[in-house]
Amino acid sequence: MRAFLDMGGYWPYVWPAYAVTLAVMALNIIWARRLLERSRKEALRRLAIGGTEK
Amino acid sequence: MAWTWFHRLASPPHVYRVARRLTPWLAWPAAVLIIAGLIGGLVLAPPDYQQGDGYRIIYVHAPSAWMSLLVYATMAVAAGIGLIWRMKVAHAVAAASAPIGASFTFAALVTGSLWGAPMWGTYWQWDPRLTSELILLFLYLGYMGLRSAFDDLQRADRVSAVLAVVGVVNVPIIHYSVVWWNSLHQPPSLMYLGKPTMPPSMFVPLLVMLVGFTLFYGALLLVRLRGEVLSRERAASWVREAVRP
Repeated sequence: MRAFLDMGGYWPYVWPAYAVTLAVMALNIIWARRLLERSRKEALRRLAIGGTEK
Repeated sequence: MAWTWFHRLASPPHVYRVARRLTPWLAWPAAVLIIAGLIGGLVLAPPDYQQGDGYRIIYVHAPSAWMSLLVYATMAVAAGIGLIWRMKVAHAVAAASAPIGASFTFAALVTGSLWGAPMWGTYWQWDPRLTSELILLFLYLGYMGLRSAFDDLQRADRVSAVLAVVGVVNVPIIHYSVVWWNSLHQPPSLMYLGKPTMPPSMFVPLLVMLVGFTLFYGALLLVRLRGEVLSRERAASWVREAVRP
């Protein structure tokens, strides 16, 4: 396990590289969901305002 | 008719419905492949005879770099279709792609830098491959900045689409930069079919990661596309159905 974490001495490069990539992936999931949620709320608000026109 | 599928792609309610239904079919395989690729790359693949365990950065660097190009190409094609056929859905695809592409370009640059430090002895070098990839990041950011400068979504779509289409010349430049010019960067590892430069135990996890990342882009795109399509619809009756909690 220690050897695995050490990555042959390259741990200061390997682990940050994986951390950055996984963080970018996680952020993308959060951003995508947030965009959809925001658009839905906006659409609901528009429908509430213009609810009588159609 | 053979062309009905193309016309239905232009229909926002149809796209919204299909995107919703398709998302889990891309997201779950993406999750499985990425986890398998991580195990394959970090645990199962043997160390490199020259770079030891340091080369394992390839399993996040190459897929991120692949995404940066794939997403840009998709964005440019979608923007072009949007310009030519005035198709709202195509503009929505382009707009939905940009933040994904920008973030993976950032990941490609950072992971490449972390790989360069121990192997080349420098985090950064004004090398053709590195510089053209940095320009790609600026193209994405320019595209997003340009979009946000317009209040009118349709104008934002059209003006930013021109930038996306013009910027696509950078994609082949990035890909061939390691061939055309003397570069610190190594040549592509497996982009040429038939002769992978690695043994299968190293190569298969990389392939799994590339497919996983591509499916992940598909899933992200479908979720973002639904948001982009909704915000382009004004009081359409289908929206009432779609957004019902």
